[in-house]
Amino acid sequence: MALGGIIRGKRTTLRTPVEEDLAAYSRWMADMRVRRAAGVWHEPAMPATWKERLKEQAKEQRVVLWSIETDGRLIGLARARLGGLEGAPGAQIQHFILDPEEWRRGYGWDAALALHRYFFDYLDLKRTGMELRADNVAALRIAEKLGYTEFGHGHQVHYRDGAYVDESWLLMERATWDERFGKTEREYVPLGTAR
Amino acid sequence: MFGPRIAGDNGVELRPPVLEDYKLFAEWQMQPEVTRFWGPRFTTETIATAEERLKRHLESHDSVSWSIAYQGETVGFTGLFDISWTSRDGETGIFIGRHDLYGKGIASEAVRLRMAFIWNEMNFHRTHNWIALANQGSWRANQKSGYSQIGTYPRSWFRSGEWFDEWLGEAFPSTFPADKLPSPWRDKEHPK
Repeated sequence: MALGGIIRGKRTTLRTPVEEDLAAYSRWMADMRVRRAAGVWHEPAMPATWKERLKEQAKEQRVVLWSIETDGRLIGLARARLGGLEGAPGAQIQHFILDPEEWRRGYGWDAALALHRYFFDYLDLKRTGMELRADNVAALRIAEKLGYTEFGHGHQVHYRDGAYVDESWLLMERATWDERFGKTEREYVPLGTAR
Repeated sequence: MFGPRIAGDNGVELRPPVLEDYKLFAEWQMQPEVTRFWGPRFTTETIATAEERLKRHLESHDSVSWSIAYQGETVGFTGLFDISWTSRDGETGIFIGRHDLYGKGIASEAVRLRMAFIWNEMNFHRTHNWIALANQGSWRANQKSGYSQIGTYPRSWFRSGEWFDEWLGEAFPSTFPADKLPSPWRDKEHPK
């Protein structure tokens, strides 16, 4: 069901979440640095509630959750809605949260690139989207490097830290992925070449 | 929760939905005439689940729903959804199920009443919505009550060989036209 499988980046790995991850999830959701940067997946809660949430997540038909680790150490989570019944097949990244203690080490870029490789190179999606707080410079930089462009800008959308912050709506098309990463970011060696 | 009764002009009224309305909503959403910009025209809803749906909406803490009545008859629904109580923001939506009544200004009036309630009774900071760009009647109805365009989502809907973009809008209390404030808020005897 909708717990993600293994996606290997160069420095990070997205993998299936397990119950042992939940204490860290809860800690991140309670961290004001995380809450300032982005919306939380769930509010902090007791272990039993988190177990229930993981169980419910596993039943989700279209929303996939991954844990992110590096060197066997849990450092974050990613969650994306896959869809496109009426529009182009695509993914909407809903949460991409890294442990604040692991920020500014390049893990976000590595995991984001691997995740997008999965979307385009493996699932053959046509577009991906995300919404970011307009002052989340690190995330915006990663999005821009991947090839996202802004198609909408909401004003004074989120209230936190005593003020409102804008929201940037971003979109990346398959053609951009192909142009920037299509030749270098392949999960498998094409069979035609391997023979 | 359900919104209260708000009487507008030209026989348009917002009122709390009843079970019969929910049965109508389910029927309308299966009709080609009203699902050009509303999808996907299949459902898990049945007459039997209409009551559950009503209960769910009634007990919801992050939405406000109304039926839209025209000359006493239910013709659609509108509301505020996905409310963020922290940011005082929510997504608005409107659906006119009676396609034979399109073009009569029902949506414009319903939006005016809805927005007046949101600003004057809920103390909201902002609302937003996404509407098919080709559905001019809908986004123009929202514009009249203070919505403005903040973006365009490309190729959102595919219908009959064509891709349709989506109109992204937002509104604030300050963008609601003061001269369009409906009753009771415009009434002199209405306590401030």
